[in-house]
Amino acid sequence: MTPQLAGHTLWVFVGIPVLVIAVVTLLVFASSIASGPRYRPGLSWWAPPVWINGPVATKPDPASLPELPGASSAPAAAGAGVARTTGGASASW
Amino acid sequence: MPVGDAFTPDQLFDIERAVRNAEVASGLHFSVYVGGADSETRPFAQELLNELDDPDHTVLVYVDPAGRRLEIVTGAEAKRQLSDTAAGLAALTMQTSFATGDLTGGLVTGVQQLGANAHQAPLLHANEPHKQ
Repeated sequence: MTPQLAGHTLWVFVGIPVLVIAVVTLLVFASSIASGPRYRPGLSWWAPPVWINGPVATKPDPASLPELPGASSAPAAAGAGVARTTGGASASW
Repeated sequence: MPVGDAFTPDQLFDIERAVRNAEVASGLHFSVYVGGADSETRPFAQELLNELDDPDHTVLVYVDPAGRRLEIVTGAEAKRQLSDTAAGLAALTMQTSFATGDLTGGLVTGVQQLGANAHQAPLLHANEPHKQ
């Protein structure tokens, strides 16, 4: 077997399959790479808090978030009033 | 651990659009908070509601992705339009999406459902009987 034939054989039986595998792998993971980290239930949450349609005066900055109930300091004075009684629902997953 | 924003700009736009649609449909204010709570989620969500400008007419959706908890808090007046049963159904919808890792889809669908359930049909001929 001549070296030229050996190189050609190597390309056909190794190079091309590796190239195909690489392209398919790239296509499979391209969308997740483009969209960034994804939420996976059960794993810890990495992102800072997001408050959509929140108080006008405050931004969703962790430093400006209200104190938890039972904390010594009063809640921030951004709100105009306090809800009297509340309803709603809860769920977990 | 990956570091980044919770939502892409497109995802944020979708959620904000759902919030706007729900507000138009119901006449209530809607607010969505996604983040962790150091303690019990329900009191924390109620504190968030009280931070808003008009808590009585507001529906707050609180999602704790790390704790896997969802709270829907309705203000005193909002509760008249959106019953706890309707809120529970929306919570169930969101819960299903969240369990599969789809935060955006769950929020969009859930908020839309909340807005639709809080929709009040206009009263026809209630104050102007001379107009047909």
